[in-house]
Amino acid sequence: MEIRPILLSMKRNKFLSMVISLQVMMTLTVLSIAVSITAATLSQWNMPSGIDHDNIISVRTQFFDPQVNLENAIVDDINRLKKIAGVINVAPNKEIPFDAGRPSRVYLEADEEAAGHHTNFFEMDTNGPKVLGLTLVAGRFYRENEVLRSHDDDKTSVSVVMLSEDMAKELFGEKSPIGQTLYLSKSSEPAQIIGVYSNFMNGESLNGRGKSYHSVIKPQVTWSSGNNPNYLISVDEGTGPSSFNAIKAALYKTPGRYIYGVELLKRTQKRMYDGRGSSGAILLVVSLILVLIAGFGMAGLVSFLITQRQKQIGIRRALGGTKWSVVRYFILENSILTVFGILAGLALTFTMALIMAQESGQSFLQMDLVLYCSLFIWAVNTFAVWLPARRAARVSPAIVTRGL
Amino acid sequence: MISYNLQLALRSLKQRVQLTILMVLAISIGIGLLITVQTMAYQNEKMPLAHKADSIYFIQADNRDLGADPIVRQPRMIYLTHRDAKNLMAGDTPATAHTTVWKTDIILNSLDQNIRPVQSRTAVTNHSFFSMFDVPFLYGSAWDKESDNNGAPVIVLTKESNELLFGGENSVGKQVRVNELSVTVVGVLNDWDLGRRFYDESYSTARHDMAFISDTFAINNSIMRNERLNCLPQDSAKRGFYRTNDVQGLINSECSFVRLWAQIDSTSKAADYEGYLEQYILTQKDLGRFPREMNNYVTSLYTMVTLANELRGGRNPLKYIAPLFFFVCLLNAIGLLLAKFMRKSNEVSLRRALGASKGTLMGQYLLEVMIIGFMGGILGCVFAYLGLQGMMRVNVYQSDYSVTVDSLRHAFAMDWIMIGKAFCIAIGSTIVVGLYPIWRIINIAPASQLKSQ
Repeated sequence: MEIRPILLSMKRNKFLSMVISLQVMMTLTVLSIAVSITAATLSQWNMPSGIDHDNIISVRTQFFDPQVNLENAIVDDINRLKKIAGVINVAPNKEIPFDAGRPSRVYLEADEEAAGHHTNFFEMDTNGPKVLGLTLVAGRFYRENEVLRSHDDDKTSVSVVMLSEDMAKELFGEKSPIGQTLYLSKSSEPAQIIGVYSNFMNGESLNGRGKSYHSVIKPQVTWSSGNNPNYLISVDEGTGPSSFNAIKAALYKTPGRYIYGVELLKRTQKRMYDGRGSSGAILLVVSLILVLIAGFGMAGLVSFLITQRQKQIGIRRALGGTKWSVVRYFILENSILTVFGILAGLALTFTMALIMAQESGQSFLQMDLVLYCSLFIWAVNTFAVWLPARRAARVSPAIVTRGL
Repeated sequence: MISYNLQLALRSLKQRVQLTILMVLAISIGIGLLITVQTMAYQNEKMPLAHKADSIYFIQADNRDLGADPIVRQPRMIYLTHRDAKNLMAGDTPATAHTTVWKTDIILNSLDQNIRPVQSRTAVTNHSFFSMFDVPFLYGSAWDKESDNNGAPVIVLTKESNELLFGGENSVGKQVRVNELSVTVVGVLNDWDLGRRFYDESYSTARHDMAFISDTFAINNSIMRNERLNCLPQDSAKRGFYRTNDVQGLINSECSFVRLWAQIDSTSKAADYEGYLEQYILTQKDLGRFPREMNNYVTSLYTMVTLANELRGGRNPLKYIAPLFFFVCLLNAIGLLLAKFMRKSNEVSLRRALGASKGTLMGQYLLEVMIIGFMGGILGCVFAYLGLQGMMRVNVYQSDYSVTVDSLRHAFAMDWIMIGKAFCIAIGSTIVVGLYPIWRIINIAPASQLKSQ
């Protein structure tokens, strides 16, 4: 076939061929590193939340004045909040969905070696599941008389708990968890599992470990000075932001407190993801620009090669070469160079990935993505060649006769 | 001669102007990304308090249990217990001044409720802090030594918190409340060009402390310790309690949370300080404390920041991608340059035949390449500026608008050093990559190209 003449012409144009291959090599390295990192960054990104986050408001507050009677303050707060137009239900809580803090561990057995299972505790009264709109998967919801209301220093532990679907699956597999017991810490009495509720997002620290929906609800309302009573408030469709000021005013009626923030859970969700989302987007934009530059450069080089070889193309055409055979010649030549570049690029990618993994302590390269990047670069290059090569194919065979 | 060469170079750039544009674009986009990333790193690694970085020292001693991991990363080492910091400050020391720092969050508010409460990141320290770290005051001054001794209820505000609480007027002597405690404002800071908040090792660029209170006052009133407590095993279980409630228990415990900074005026004095510290630890060992072998550190601010930079540097993947990206852009430019030059084979061989020397031609083409590099540099700086602005906006977005553009601007600012660097890289690298195409073209045999015409 045409391989031999192509190799010969490459030999004549050693430098240009090298530049093309080198460029492919570098582009592949940058692209596969960027795409692999982006994929790692965006894993577990924008997962379904499991709750109506557009219509739930979270309020984070703190009492700084130790004189305040916290138990009464919480009752007052809830009564005042419920009077605000648009508010459906209010639940005092500690952790906020999308923003749950460092994970806790629960145990199936109490002995020394028992393995802990990561989870986030959500402390709520009976309104909690209603505000979040959780549905019952198995068992029952807890009753008002099962809710423990106490000062934080009171170390009594709840006697019943509920699990999320995923939590139940991790702990008990296919078996029914209802009636089983769970140790909320190694030193405490076990709690009985009375129900399983539908999954909802806990927060970034467990999401990052692939345990986005692992949670345990403790029927409990606790208070202590300097510690936050937070509230989750479900509101009528669309009334969210307009009630923020009313909520603040209602809460500030109790002096000696500070309000960190009133926001829709939608915004909490945005905050949970947008750090990763935007750094992923930056990498992708950079890669895209790079592919564009490489593509333009390739097209420029090929169009130069074509003008240089006008005569050669003319001869081929005059000797009966079809237009397609001319285009094919250039695409083949370019593909050979691209393949060389890709092979070298793979070597460089692995070296770079190794260096970066050593510094950051985690490997991120995904082989399938690297393969897709190689194919993509080949496709872009082929397209970049095809455009000027098509023009070359239009060279009239008669051009040969000139200048002879 | 130069003006003639310049004329020729400009004319040559104008021929096939698309190729020139493509080359300049390729180089400038590469430079743009490279300088964006480098400026961020450069601003991020700038030495805070540079003129004193050699006379401020950080004091650490290893008070962990026997089974603790060996120390690999000194900046991650624990701090001191409260009493060790106090003892070291009180002893007969080679240092000229000492200050302790720990962090807390307080709510600033007024009794009459006419302003909404403000949450404030706060440094708990002593009066030497302000002189040691050259803190500028707008109104008033630091509290005096006496207030450190008796725990007087005084506070130093920053310009920002003074704006929020008092509308920016001179608030010295006025009352404000820290949580439920009334305190008197003794000073208000001016804009403090700190760069990064080094003194609590957070190296935060945008979130500044909003108030400063004295250690004695904070301990007397059990202001919450917003610190990670590193305790010996016997105290570990009570960590949570120590953070918020039992301040006396914390002080008597083996829990470290206090950063000790010393001002030591010469290197030999620093060696003396090491001896002083060792002597102190030995006396404590006699009392049955400090179970591990001797691991003391007297580290200059300069070294602390350098170590921290190394530890925090490797995170941004763009740091690796930007140079490769630039290299692709350069390869692109060189290919295009070669293509452009090869088209001129005829012209060159004619000029050679007419007697132009290789040197003359070389000068001319070098000039052309430099002009391309220069234009790439100009456009590259523009791209870098836009890139930095974009990165800053992304940063504000990432923090969910909890930091402002104004407080971040210094970390994304290009200065003349970086602009100079951009031009050096642009021109230098285009010359390097241009050498081969130039060498190829000036070696064309005279008149060789004329035959076929």
